[in-house]
Amino acid sequence: MSELIACHGCDLLVDVGDLENGSRASCPRCGHFLTRFQRDAMSRVLAYAIAAIILLALACSFSFLSFSSSGLESIMTLRAAPGSLWRYGMPELAIMVAAFIIYIPALLLLLLVSISIPLLFGLRAPWLRFATRSVFTLQNWAMVEVFIIGVIVSLVKIAAMATVVLGISFWAYAAFSVCFTLALVTLDRYQCWEMIEALETAQ
Amino acid sequence: MNANASTAAAEGLASCHVCCKLAPTTEHNCPRCGAALHLRSSNSLQRTLALLITASILYIPANLYPIMITEALGVAEFSTILGGVVLLVKLGSIPVAAVIFIASVMVPLSKLVAMFYLVWSVDRRHLGGHRQRTKMYLAAEFIGKWSMVDVFVVAILVALVHLGGLLVISPGIAAYSFAGVVLVTMVAAECFDPRLMWDRLDNNNDSSEA
Repeated sequence: MSELIACHGCDLLVDVGDLENGSRASCPRCGHFLTRFQRDAMSRVLAYAIAAIILLALACSFSFLSFSSSGLESIMTLRAAPGSLWRYGMPELAIMVAAFIIYIPALLLLLLVSISIPLLFGLRAPWLRFATRSVFTLQNWAMVEVFIIGVIVSLVKIAAMATVVLGISFWAYAAFSVCFTLALVTLDRYQCWEMIEALETAQ
Repeated sequence: MNANASTAAAEGLASCHVCCKLAPTTEHNCPRCGAALHLRSSNSLQRTLALLITASILYIPANLYPIMITEALGVAEFSTILGGVVLLVKLGSIPVAAVIFIASVMVPLSKLVAMFYLVWSVDRRHLGGHRQRTKMYLAAEFIGKWSMVDVFVVAILVALVHLGGLLVISPGIAAYSFAGVVLVTMVAAECFDPRLMWDRLDNNNDSSEA
């Protein structure tokens, strides 16, 4: 079957109708990635998303880092971290940081669950189009993996000043970042919309 | 997978930027997902250029003012982005200094230069390397958010280090400007439409054949 897709890099029309399971298509003219076909993509997305939600809940519940010097100790939790910026008079920056590391990723995960369940079980859901559009708009604004690097850099910066201990939440967040990234990578834009169209036109 | 020799625009089709559906250019909204349908991103070059200039202006205070203030036993020490890199080198942690230098200095600078070059090159038909320039655009789009590392480091240190009068770290005003640089360049990359330079190539071929 012939299915045309226009490359988002250079607008060339490419036929991606006969992709085998697990294979990917790139534009022959500019090399831009087009789509990847995976038969069980939706069950993978759902599995990664649920795992990521559990890990994020854990990451928000315990101590993330603790810092002690000369008998004084301070503990940082993930949810309270952006609040300190707020107290120093930078509410906009605090909101941005909280959104990039916790709230946008959490919202994305809920949207992924709300997309993958109807697509997996063939249920018509009125929010399907809206949720899928939101996922692709928001996905650039989750900075989970960047935050992990930020934590590692911070550790090295203050390791000389005092004793720093990584908490349970840090490890949960690191595992969460892996599941979160896998969930988003597995959701293919073109294939997902093809499935929505097939579901909605089916009798 | 077969390539047709034609582009969507030449066939009178617009590709939906949300769901990849091809629809006639006469449609205003995508028939599949309902998003507004544009043949190319509207005012792509003007918007990208305006945002790039904004980011370049923000980049100046981001580097001149302190991003972090360390107060040890009442003595305040102000550190700028570059100062932080120098300090890390002195502490002997070269790999982390390299991470911060790449993320906070090289990435924003090279992204700004690359995007300015791409905008400038769109109308220069004689420049070849369309494939390389598309790759350059994708790379600039991909690396953008990694510059947030420095802002996150400030957020973490400020939240973690407050030991009464002994040792306190507070954020500096450059954190604002720097976060601004990152956000504005990310939006600039989203505004730029790489298909514009391929359009010029297609037009060029048509006119040389005619």
